[in-house]
Amino acid sequence: MSLLKLKNIYRIYQIGDIEVRALNGVDVDVEKNEYVSIMGPSGSGKSTLMNIIGCLDTPTSGGYELDGMTIHQEIKDGSGIASDDQLAVIRNQKIGFIFQTFNLLPRMTALHNVELPLIYAGVPRLERLERAKAVLESVQLADRMYHRPNELSGGQRQRVAVARALVNDPSIILADEPTGNLDSKTGHDIMNLISNLHERGNTIILVTHEHDIAERASRVINMLDGKIHLDNKKK
Amino acid sequence: MFNQLYESIIIGFKAVFQSKGRALLTMLGIIIGILSVSLMGTAINGIDNVFNQTLGMFGDDVLYVQQFPWFMGDAEWWEFRNRPQIREEYSEKISKRAESISYASVEMNRRVTLSYKENNSEGVDLGGRGWQSAYIDAAKIQSGRYFTQLEDKNASRVILIGSEVHKLLFPNVEDPCGLDIKVNGLKFRVIGVFAEQGKIFGMFSIDNMAVIPFQTLKAVFGRSQWLSISLKTREGFDKDYALEEVRSITRGLRGLRPLEKDNFAINQQEAMEDELGKIKTSIAAVGIGIAALSLLVGGIGIMNIMFVSVKERTKEIGIRKALGAKRWVILVQFLFEAIIIALIGGLIGLGLTSLLVGVVNKFFVASMSLGLVLTAIGVSIGVGIFSGIVPASQAAKLDPIEAMRYE
Ligand SMILES: Nc1ncnc2c1ncn2[C@@H]1O[C@H](COP(=O)(O)OP(=O)(O)OP(=O)(O)O)[C@@H](O)[C@H]1O
Ligand SMILES: [Mg+2]
Repeated sequence: MSLLKLKNIYRIYQIGDIEVRALNGVDVDVEKNEYVSIMGPSGSGKSTLMNIIGCLDTPTSGGYELDGMTIHQEIKDGSGIASDDQLAVIRNQKIGFIFQTFNLLPRMTALHNVELPLIYAGVPRLERLERAKAVLESVQLADRMYHRPNELSGGQRQRVAVARALVNDPSIILADEPTGNLDSKTGHDIMNLISNLHERGNTIILVTHEHDIAERASRVINMLDGKIHLDNKKK
Repeated sequence: MFNQLYESIIIGFKAVFQSKGRALLTMLGIIIGILSVSLMGTAINGIDNVFNQTLGMFGDDVLYVQQFPWFMGDAEWWEFRNRPQIREEYSEKISKRAESISYASVEMNRRVTLSYKENNSEGVDLGGRGWQSAYIDAAKIQSGRYFTQLEDKNASRVILIGSEVHKLLFPNVEDPCGLDIKVNGLKFRVIGVFAEQGKIFGMFSIDNMAVIPFQTLKAVFGRSQWLSISLKTREGFDKDYALEEVRSITRGLRGLRPLEKDNFAINQQEAMEDELGKIKTSIAAVGIGIAALSLLVGGIGIMNIMFVSVKERTKEIGIRKALGAKRWVILVQFLFEAIIIALIGGLIGLGLTSLLVGVVNKFFVASMSLGLVLTAIGVSIGVGIFSGIVPASQAAKLDPIEAMRYE
């Protein structure tokens, strides 16, 4: 059974009289433990697709099922559309985000940043601390737990973000250009970390502009003008 | 749930302390508002205390026939000034004719200096009272006795002193009865000491007084033009009835025709109560007015910095929502920020009030009641909610993608 299923997805922005079709009929299935990378020119709809998969955004039309749950119905009968707060719960429990710009809270320590998803999941304090510390150790940041983001290097910040994405044991990890703001050496380190996650059984969807990074994945999707142009599964 | 609530409160706290200066500035309105509310409450409280003291001075079943009413406007003063004087014999006549009056006494006052050996007490309010005062006066005698009818009739040189006079003249004598003191140089024998009654507004002691028989005062110092007749209502009679009876008898004594206005005043404690009520109402009106205005200004100030705070934290809100924060979590976070600012402002206001009350208390028996403190805290929280709810719900509704993009 597939982990996520997108059917005939449209995401249309109406700006005045102009209609922008950021997604123009997308169909994708992703299996559990797949490692998918998405490529394509700027403006082709990669981030828009990631946002919809990550439940940060809802499609204008189309069906979306995640882990057996209907997030959005292709033919609306009003019953299967998740509310704002339900989407928040799904993001909290099923999705781990890694962003290009890290998106850490600047005034908090690395540890507290990693704790955040657990706070919103209602995990008690002691368990929370223990889990957050364990994940930070697994990304080799045991000695940086009490540092704030501005006291960390770019690579370290992104490792905090990876730790934060992992801490809630999500079904999918979504990474939108995770190495975009890093030099190639640290970018390489982060990609090794992500490959490790895949080997340990995580499902990963990754957006990148770099071929050598995309080639690490077991499946490469190419987008063009809001549509899936090519979808190559390696064997 | 409790975890998240706790977390939201902590975040709210931190947010306030990260921008202390700004928060303090906007607290000003709340501080002034709470200050005026609680000062008002304290003042009213103090007035009540004063009133309870005057209760001790004037019996609540006593009527006073006097030339002036206790409360009058400036304009009327000359009219009252030209009234005929109250005469000594009214006392006896009223008590004979009025069935509702059990005792009547005449009183006049003058300022004198009392001395005992090298000790002096100046500006003492010396009252010359009829012997019936023993049955009318509310003041209690702590030691000794009142003078008798005979002593009054014979103009005996006997004196009762207030507790303040006792302290000043006889700092080391527990019971001065039987000792001789001088009243403006004339020898008097102390026969009684009044119990302490306290101070009004902490300034003028009602215990700096002394009483001698009316006839003595008249014989020694002459007659004063200001006489007052005290009348005790007989038990079982309604005070309003007594008042009407006394009025018609006094009108008769004055020879007033039916349509002529009274040319005397009948005073009673109730009049004081009414007057204090009026003062309390006007203090309350002014206090509430100032408070409402400054709380409104303060509330709008807080609302304003809350909008700024939400703007500044837009990206943070986006990140939190992306990580699974529900709307109410964000709402509570910002609502608490507003409540904390208002509450700290309110507590500062209360603190200032208690400092001021501490100073004022030297003159004025005033106290901050627990109810007042709770009201002030409640009002602060209310202002916090009022000014935080709109910015907070705006924050809660932000779209996570757009919020995260905000720089
Ligand atoms: N909020 C929005 N309002 C209007 N149009 C938008 C909005 N967000 C995205 N778009 C449009 O949708 C299209 C797809 O944008 P998207 O961000 O998905 O591209 P992308 O493939 O991620 O590009 P890049 O590689 O540059 O990140 C673009 O044409 C963009 O202008
Ligand atoms: Mg993009």
